[in-house]
Amino acid sequence: MPNERPCRGSLVRVEVVAPPSGESGIGWRAAASLDSVFVKPSRRRRVAAAAALGLLLAGCAKNAPQDTFDPAGSNARSIDNLQRPVFYVAGVVGIIVFAVVGYAMWKFKDRGQDIPEQSHGNPKLEIALTILPAIILAAICVPTVSQVFSLDKKDNNCVINVTGQQWWWEYDYAKGSECGGVVIPESIVTSGELVIPANTDVLLRITSRDVIHSFWIPRLNGKRDAVPGRLHTLRMQADKPGIYTGQCTEFCGLSHSRMRQAAVALNTADFQTWVTNQTEAYASPEAGSAAAVGQSTFIAQCSRCHQVNGLQDGDGKPVLAEPDLYVLSGAAPNLTNLLTRTAIAGWTFDLLTTTCRETLWNAPPDEFGALYLKGITAECFNEANLREWIRNAPAMKPMYTDPKNLGSTGGKTRGMPALGLTEAQIDQIIAYLLERK
Amino acid sequence: MFTTGSKLFLGASALSLVSALLYAGTTDGALSMPGVVGLLTTTLVFGFLGGINWYTRDGNVSGAQEGVEFTSPAAQSPVSRSMWPLVAAVGVGGLVVGAVSQPVVFKVAVVVVLAAVVEWMVLGWSERASSDSGYNSGVRRRILFPLEFPILAAVGLSVIVYSFSRVMLRLDKDSGKAAFGAIAAMVLFAGFVFAGKKNVAKRTITGVCSIAAVALFGVGVASAVQGQRTIEAHPTTASDAAVCLEGGTAGEVDDNASQSVSAKSSVIANIYLQSNNVVVAYVNGTPGKAFSSLDVPRSAWVRVLFHNEGDQSHRLTARLGTFGTNAEVIQCTTAVHTGHEAFLDFKVAKTNLASSTPIVLMVPGLDGQEIQVNVP
Repeated sequence: MPNERPCRGSLVRVEVVAPPSGESGIGWRAAASLDSVFVKPSRRRRVAAAAALGLLLAGCAKNAPQDTFDPAGSNARSIDNLQRPVFYVAGVVGIIVFAVVGYAMWKFKDRGQDIPEQSHGNPKLEIALTILPAIILAAICVPTVSQVFSLDKKDNNCVINVTGQQWWWEYDYAKGSECGGVVIPESIVTSGELVIPANTDVLLRITSRDVIHSFWIPRLNGKRDAVPGRLHTLRMQADKPGIYTGQCTEFCGLSHSRMRQAAVALNTADFQTWVTNQTEAYASPEAGSAAAVGQSTFIAQCSRCHQVNGLQDGDGKPVLAEPDLYVLSGAAPNLTNLLTRTAIAGWTFDLLTTTCRETLWNAPPDEFGALYLKGITAECFNEANLREWIRNAPAMKPMYTDPKNLGSTGGKTRGMPALGLTEAQIDQIIAYLLERK
Repeated sequence: MFTTGSKLFLGASALSLVSALLYAGTTDGALSMPGVVGLLTTTLVFGFLGGINWYTRDGNVSGAQEGVEFTSPAAQSPVSRSMWPLVAAVGVGGLVVGAVSQPVVFKVAVVVVLAAVVEWMVLGWSERASSDSGYNSGVRRRILFPLEFPILAAVGLSVIVYSFSRVMLRLDKDSGKAAFGAIAAMVLFAGFVFAGKKNVAKRTITGVCSIAAVALFGVGVASAVQGQRTIEAHPTTASDAAVCLEGGTAGEVDDNASQSVSAKSSVIANIYLQSNNVVVAYVNGTPGKAFSSLDVPRSAWVRVLFHNEGDQSHRLTARLGTFGTNAEVIQCTTAVHTGHEAFLDFKVAKTNLASSTPIVLMVPGLDGQEIQVNVP
């Protein structure tokens, strides 16, 4: 049809499918004369193809610590056992639907033919298409409901309070709880890293101090909202020692993306060691040392918000933090054993160097506990992160701390403000904190 | 000289100018500026539009056309009497009455005046839209029905709902059951009667519905005038130390205060006063194990549910510490009957170490029966 003016659709087709040799000249000349029409769909297709390929390749990532399809505990495995068959069935249904729609689009494309005879209603087909999905949904519903009730079991001896606030998580271990055979002799308060005994069911009692957050360690269980004034429970269990990361999954304000968390599972002996370490009496720095000077600086600059259990002032009185007077949520991380944790500031910035972090994260289960319990050693200490945080925290993580914008909160900040410390004061505080483990 | 359209806009312009002068004269200086500027702007805009309409003779007919003063649509006389001037007059009267009596009367009158002005304006315009009265009537319907129907439906539903709510608030629990049972029976009966008849005149159905609507409205108004029944309010918690540290009395009991399923699902502990007058805590997460202490997070609201299994009314009191020179913080439930329960929500902002008095949950009148509260 050399005399017909080529339409837009035919031009695109010419580009994809090699034109028959007898008509190639006409086809290519027409395409060249409408270059803009010819090029745009092609570019769009390339972008779409690249995006699809990227999405596909993303599924092949080996370093995916928050992969729900890689359960590492009984609760997450229960969910995985449910979601996989559902996913497969839904996938098959999806493929069939897409194939039928694609076939219909190709087969009945407008080629100038007459409109076919229209029909209305097909009772047999409609009944079948109603019953089939109903059967599929019923088949999914039964195990789902059963699983929901199974996951909601609360019987446990190990209870940990998990409290969210902008933008970090606090964990306090109830005094008298028994976790994997280890009795918690005194209340333990920590943040960022939830340390649990491996192969033991732990019950988290989750709430919030300010806005709604959501606690999620994908490899250990589903997510649970943390709602102010309400208490939600979530059972957690990890098969093996290791580190399992998570993220707040309810948008909670400016630094929501920097509100991360991790669960660290230790075998029973290591967990006992950790508990003993956390409840040990406070050890004052050696008199005259840099840490001792740092203790004074800490008391003057940090202790009004941050609690260090057992810390006393010059008169021997306990130094008690009062974050309720300065922070909107009424809480700031307890720093008693800061250097036993591997990250700070909502578990966003590493206290470990990259090499040591990789070593710890990739440690085999039987070696993990010993490595973790070493805490932050001198050779593994990522000083830059801690130093920068103390120097100017809001520059690393936005937290509404500018005094000019605190009218609506009565002057209270939502996180750590820039304290304007000198480099010497920062050195002193770091020297002091290095002994907090 | 002045065309219909120009008269409307010039009149609106004059009205805006008068309003601006009145507003400026009756409102305080700085406060009145935005309003005066707004009204003067409106004056200018309407004046400009009026001028355009006057110059173009509403865009309808040529001034050179012969006999146009008799044949143009604008020259047609109104086809029917309009009720809207009367409604507008009633509205203006309402404005005056409302200004010296009830604000609600004034607000209703404003709505009436605005509605009358819009209806009157569109009616006046539509009756001169063409020389065909049938077409003019259709134009009016096309413009106003999309406004009238939803508004009238909303007003009608509001009146029905409001009347029902006033009646329900007026009647006590037993009378309410009887009255609304009877009304439901009457509706059912009427349904049967209508359904059993082959042909029912539209007029009959309209009449019955109208009588029912008027009756409902009348009873609603009467109920509203009489006011709602007396509803006894029982506070579920208190923070008065003198009350909280004494035993409860039966007069304070609100047996229905703790029936919220949502609240019951979110307690950190159930506190039981057992029949042997011993107080124990069953902590969420460790069922079956009785505790004498309870860990709660600092600065977070927590809730406990108090169960009174004792042989008389008791309350649960939370002594939440004494910080600095402030008085001891004390909260308590109302007195709880034997076999009943009540919630207590509390928050402790500081650690136990900061308090000069113990932080405990206790039952007044029972010495030594306390649950220690640890706030790390």
